[in-house]
Amino acid sequence: MIITLEKVKDGMEAVVKQIHGGHNIRQKLGGLGVHPQDKLKVLRSGFLGGPVLIEIHGTQVGIGHGMAQKIEVELKESS
Amino acid sequence: MRIALVGQPNCGKSALFNSVAGYKTLASNFPGTTVDYVTSRVSFNGDGFALVDLPGIYSLSGSEREELLARRYLIEERPDLVINIMDASVLSRSLELTLELLELKIPLVICLNMIDEAARKGVEIDVDHMSQDLGVPIVPTIAVRGQGVPELFKTAIDTAKRGNTGKTYFLSLDVEQAVSELAGLLGEQTAGKIGVPVRLLAIKLLEEDEEFESAVRKIHPELMGEVERLRRNLAECHGRPSDVVISSERHSLALNLFEHVAKVRPSGEKSFRDQVDKYLMHPVLGYVFLAGILFFFFWFVFSFGKHIEEPILTLFGQFTTYLSRHLSNGSLLFTLTNGLIQGFSGGIGIVLPYLIPFLLGLSLLEDIGYLPRAAFLMDSIMHAIGLHGKSIIPFVLSYGCNVPAIMGVRIMERSRDRFITAVLVTLIPCAARTTVIFALVAFYLGPMHALLLYLLNIVVIAAAGKVLSRYLPDTSPGMILEMPSYKLPKFSNVMRKVWFRLREFVVIAWPILIVGSVILSLLEYLQLAELINGILSPFTSWLLGLPPEVGITLIFGILRKELTLIMLVQALGTSNFASVMTGEQMMVFTVFSLFYIPCLATLGMLRSTIGNRGMLFTLFFNTAIGTLMALVFRGIYYWY
Repeated sequence: MIITLEKVKDGMEAVVKQIHGGHNIRQKLGGLGVHPQDKLKVLRSGFLGGPVLIEIHGTQVGIGHGMAQKIEVELKESS
Repeated sequence: MRIALVGQPNCGKSALFNSVAGYKTLASNFPGTTVDYVTSRVSFNGDGFALVDLPGIYSLSGSEREELLARRYLIEERPDLVINIMDASVLSRSLELTLELLELKIPLVICLNMIDEAARKGVEIDVDHMSQDLGVPIVPTIAVRGQGVPELFKTAIDTAKRGNTGKTYFLSLDVEQAVSELAGLLGEQTAGKIGVPVRLLAIKLLEEDEEFESAVRKIHPELMGEVERLRRNLAECHGRPSDVVISSERHSLALNLFEHVAKVRPSGEKSFRDQVDKYLMHPVLGYVFLAGILFFFFWFVFSFGKHIEEPILTLFGQFTTYLSRHLSNGSLLFTLTNGLIQGFSGGIGIVLPYLIPFLLGLSLLEDIGYLPRAAFLMDSIMHAIGLHGKSIIPFVLSYGCNVPAIMGVRIMERSRDRFITAVLVTLIPCAARTTVIFALVAFYLGPMHALLLYLLNIVVIAAAGKVLSRYLPDTSPGMILEMPSYKLPKFSNVMRKVWFRLREFVVIAWPILIVGSVILSLLEYLQLAELINGILSPFTSWLLGLPPEVGITLIFGILRKELTLIMLVQALGTSNFASVMTGEQMMVFTVFSLFYIPCLATLGMLRSTIGNRGMLFTLFFNTAIGTLMALVFRGIYYWY
């Protein structure tokens, strides 16, 4: 199932499918290690318009709600 | 010889810089541009070199100020060697920056830092293997403890002498073809003019890098069509924009390298960080802790400050009395000396009691790693007024003193956020303005009126934030923030930060305070108070309906807000304000002095943080708000 990142529930794992939005967003996410095909785990979901906390490549990254809406991910079957 | 330190944020770069800055003979800010990077002269085993600490960057492609700064330094100043500091515990991500640095063809040495942290995470790195793969020397270190640092600099000096620039990494065949085709079109000469290897220039152009694009456009505008064509080709073949094609290439190269040289064993134990974050990042408890920590921070700064400020001011007061006996009160010499002392003591009265504990606390929170977490928690709330989570720290601290709060604005990356936060922060009633609120409004009109003023203040700030972000829309896509692991702050690092920030106040804001103070003393000496009151009376008396005598107090209030009340007593000739001012006048006066022009020290800090124009804007913006709100109150009193 493909949904945007801010909708992923706590503790779920997903794979980044597509990053919408401009050059800057992609560059910035890329710098912090978020690229298409990367696996991530949501540690704190973005409920009530709040930011999302993810774990990716062994680091934790906080992503604002608006930005999370631009990241399409595919949920992993097992989770 | 010049050696530059380059690394991603939180890789331990400062710790490394500090561990050798012990040998330093001279530390100076980098001339020109900004104070963001620091050069230190180091002498090591008889070799002398300049060590340049560049701001932490995630990649060479970003558009953030720090990234452009670091990149420009590397290209324009071309150091003799780059030490790439990597956080070994996040090796795969750090490798992406390394791959970019290799393209610069500047001699490179890798400092594989925090190997202890990596081992704790279960990451085992084959250093020899990695060194062979990248073609550059690698020295494992634990910089906070100084472990491996002498070896690192020995290797660095040897490598700089030999000029070893490492391997070039090749991308997939079709991407590589596009790169070499473009490189051929550009030619060595063009790249030479810009100061980078031609291959790097070609890659960056395909990545849609704005700076390089405009540089090339200036020299060879006719080539831009070709660049567009190659970008389109790549995008069509891969089904995604050309910049993503390249960055994905680098990303998968980095992942392959990582798998080649590192083994990851799952570490069974639950980390300290997870334990702590369970509470500090909890959706409900997190806010309780945040409020607690901010309150404690505030309390620490101001209880500390009050205990020190009073004796200092008393001391200077005694000194002034002593002077008045020896310099014949009323002479020009006395007036000038008195102004000088006022400005001087004003600076000390801010620096020692408030600035030092504030900067200490801020640097501690920063080094422990709590700031990003506070920003994360506050992000959605601050979004309501067009800002991001990080601005919560200056906001809270501004209730004590605006000066350190404006310094705290520096922790934000974007200039737009710094500007809006800096302007809004000056609207918050600092401790000195609080005394006016208490002495006039709470004392004569009742505490409920004072509370009302504080609530009104928050509403006005939110509205001002809305207005400012309307004109300076938030173009950034929002927050992306790494949550670093918690670290034990190192004393010398914290002190270094405190010192660098403190020095700015001493050099920039303090002189302004002293000069302003002397000028005001002269006004007093020349008995220009009446004249000033007369000039201001259309505003104070006609527009705001205040006694004309308050004119001079408002001018003194710009020097230091504490003076507003003291001068009011002097100007009105009584401390029983109720006998000379009506309730309406007290309210209007307080509201106006709450918002109007910030004090000189704040203006000085504003100037160095958001520039001359920003400072002038704040001056007018705040005065306009003050006037507007004062008139609103006058209207309310008129109608009711």
